[in-house]
Amino acid sequence: MPLPAGVAEALRRIVGRESVIDAPNDLRIFERDGSIEGALPDAVVLASSTDHVAAVMRVAAKHRIPVVPRGAGTGLSGGAVTIRGGIALQVTRMRHILEIDPVAQTALVEPGVVNQELSLVAAQHGLFYAPDPSSQKACTIGGNAAENSGGPHCLYYGVTTNHVLGMEVVLADGSVHWVSGDSADRVGLDLCGVLVGSEGTLCAITKIKVKLLRIPTSVATLLAAFPSIDTASQAVSAVIGHGIVPAALEMMDRVTVGAVEAHYHAGYPTDAGAVLLVEVDGIPESTRELTAAISEILTANHGYALREAQTPAERELLWAGRKGAIGALGRIKPNYYLHDGVVPRSRLPQVLSAVGEIGEHYKLPVANVFHAGDGNLHPNILFDMRDHQVIHQVEGAGEEMLRAVVELGGALSGEHGIGLEKSAFMPWIYSEDDLDAMHRVKDVFDGDGILNPGKIFPDPSRKAVHLAGRTGLAIEARWW
Amino acid sequence: MVVKAPAVEKPATAEELARRLHDAAVSNLAVAPAGGGRARGMGDPLERCDVLLQTTRLDRVIEHSQADMVVSVEAGITLEALQAELGKAGQFLPVDPFNSPGHTIGGLLATGWTGPLRLGYGSPRDFLIGIRVALPDGKLATGGGRVVKNVSGYDMMKLHYGALGSLGVIVAASFKVFPKPLQDETLSEAGGWAAGERALSTPLAPSALEVLSDGRVLARYAGSPAAVKRVRDELGWQRADPAAWDDHARRAPERWARIAAPRSELHKIVDALPDGAEWWASPGIGVAHWAISTDAQSVRNLRSRAEKAGGTLVILAAPDDFIREVGAWGAAPATLDIMRRLKKAFDPKGVLNPGRFVV
Repeated sequence: MPLPAGVAEALRRIVGRESVIDAPNDLRIFERDGSIEGALPDAVVLASSTDHVAAVMRVAAKHRIPVVPRGAGTGLSGGAVTIRGGIALQVTRMRHILEIDPVAQTALVEPGVVNQELSLVAAQHGLFYAPDPSSQKACTIGGNAAENSGGPHCLYYGVTTNHVLGMEVVLADGSVHWVSGDSADRVGLDLCGVLVGSEGTLCAITKIKVKLLRIPTSVATLLAAFPSIDTASQAVSAVIGHGIVPAALEMMDRVTVGAVEAHYHAGYPTDAGAVLLVEVDGIPESTRELTAAISEILTANHGYALREAQTPAERELLWAGRKGAIGALGRIKPNYYLHDGVVPRSRLPQVLSAVGEIGEHYKLPVANVFHAGDGNLHPNILFDMRDHQVIHQVEGAGEEMLRAVVELGGALSGEHGIGLEKSAFMPWIYSEDDLDAMHRVKDVFDGDGILNPGKIFPDPSRKAVHLAGRTGLAIEARWW
Repeated sequence: MVVKAPAVEKPATAEELARRLHDAAVSNLAVAPAGGGRARGMGDPLERCDVLLQTTRLDRVIEHSQADMVVSVEAGITLEALQAELGKAGQFLPVDPFNSPGHTIGGLLATGWTGPLRLGYGSPRDFLIGIRVALPDGKLATGGGRVVKNVSGYDMMKLHYGALGSLGVIVAASFKVFPKPLQDETLSEAGGWAAGERALSTPLAPSALEVLSDGRVLARYAGSPAAVKRVRDELGWQRADPAAWDDHARRAPERWARIAAPRSELHKIVDALPDGAEWWASPGIGVAHWAISTDAQSVRNLRSRAEKAGGTLVILAAPDDFIREVGAWGAAPATLDIMRRLKKAFDPKGVLNPGRFVV
């Protein structure tokens, strides 16, 4: 659906002629994010300032045109997909680190700053930004804040919301606000906390103030092989059960290790049923003690071929393998479909065996690479998109996997967001009343529903909930 | 002005509490939610109060999954009862609020009160993973879940944390809990702020660090025994009885205020307190507490200093007349209008804590 007459011109007056893209062929590269469903925007606006964002929003509000804020487009839940058309509001030109305060250990950044770049710059002051999504070489801090992204080291350090101190946001009416700020205790409702993770449905983010942490003086990275996913899962529970919360605790299954090793030659044991990557950091005294304790626990739980990275280069190679694992899976099939359900850690063996059975049932290869310490799964269903028949199979398998997660007391998403792909499943974990409360928040911030429409909330017109009639599983499970 | 004593309701279930709340709202009766009453002095005096809705009978541990290090509780359970349960598994919730003991979990979440351990572990805002809230329309709304990492839908925990029961009454909550550290040592030293700064820059960061108005510094180091020993050797400070923290947590002057400011500004603001004032500060967090011993004007002056530095000064308890004079909260936040709209969306008749909170 084209934009109403005069809107494209109005947008060009705001950001300049070159910064509005609306030729059909040029729009194609903005059709998708990292998920499998796509839709073309009617126009892409490349904003360079808060004023741009606010002015664009005012035009959109006047004409009730959907606006989808967009960073690097690396999201995995369809959050940046313009499913109802409208404007893709690209903020990657807003990429300045405005301030690093080494004393207060904070940084003020624009939303288009790349995650890893912030840590590289902060390193000059001995500081780093903790949340580290696997896409950190490309993904933006603005996108991270919108999605409340995680990453391997969030096991110990917490996810994005634990590191955002305040934000400048533009609301659906084009008004600009600062939410929260520098001091520990503020007065009034925690709007910042509500807006982080709202997936672009409540505001566009134009500045973010984040916490920086001191770079630990000592880091130890351990690799251990296990005969099976089951034994590796039990080892994960054993480590945490001993009162040790490592900085990161990651698992890869045999399929993933095979692909990663072929690509990175990091020395992962390809004969293993599963591999754990464990990292502890702190000062040398504590990492030495923890490494010894963890090694003992892993060995006692069927771990073998234990190896500690001896040099920073070796450590980086091990992490390159982990963070690049999904890309390496391209050696098996060109496409992947990735869910990120979370279960209570002790249910990992059960849920992983269910995931394996579902893959076998659908005759689809599945590769698991995930944040085991958090109970945050990442089953990658591997397929070839050129085979149109297989897409439905892939979606069906993904849905069944999520269902297994929910039935084991889990949640739909640990760090990727609900977005487009999981919105239909929200009634599995939330009752009508729960969703109604969230709707009230949406209505306060965006009564006309122009900000990222079609996300988070189930859209009955779009997709039927296949396993309907069993709403509010969480309540049925009598957690409360 | 409260003219007659409110009716006291103590529902035994969340459903009953939601019903009582709804009944009151339908009749336009003002409701003040209450837990252990430890923070009852917080906020402006209520404009009216017809029903005191107490959560104290909702005091069950719903589920403690030791292996998952997750606990779900009803809101009326006391912090001490919860710690006793978690302690059986070598776990704990790292919250040590002032005016202890007797805080309920619901009260701590509604008020956002914290203590020294916030330095090392963050506040409950950081480890609250699920919440269930009774709303004035009688609905019970859940957010989050029982997993340690969750972005399924809006973060409703943040909406209610620190909202002082202005949007709903918290009836249950789930937390990520923590293993007790292998070693947990308390060190003490004279030397005031300078000593405090020194302790904050040790290679192993302290889990708590308090500077007191008598110049004493209390530091807590948790972690592996070798790491803790290294810090103790480097600092050369005396070991102190960990019971010092319990004494510290009992602090609750008759009139007191909480000052929050950017970390770099806190020392200057505390220096501006009247000579001989009793205070205690967490310089690593950017929070100080002050036993108010002066008139309203000096509180206002100090508040204006804190606010200019980007901070706040909030009264935690004082006689009603005094609070009326200075106001409990200080300058209204710039986003007050949005907060008011949220209030209206959840409590359209304004029956919850009328006049007490910012909205």
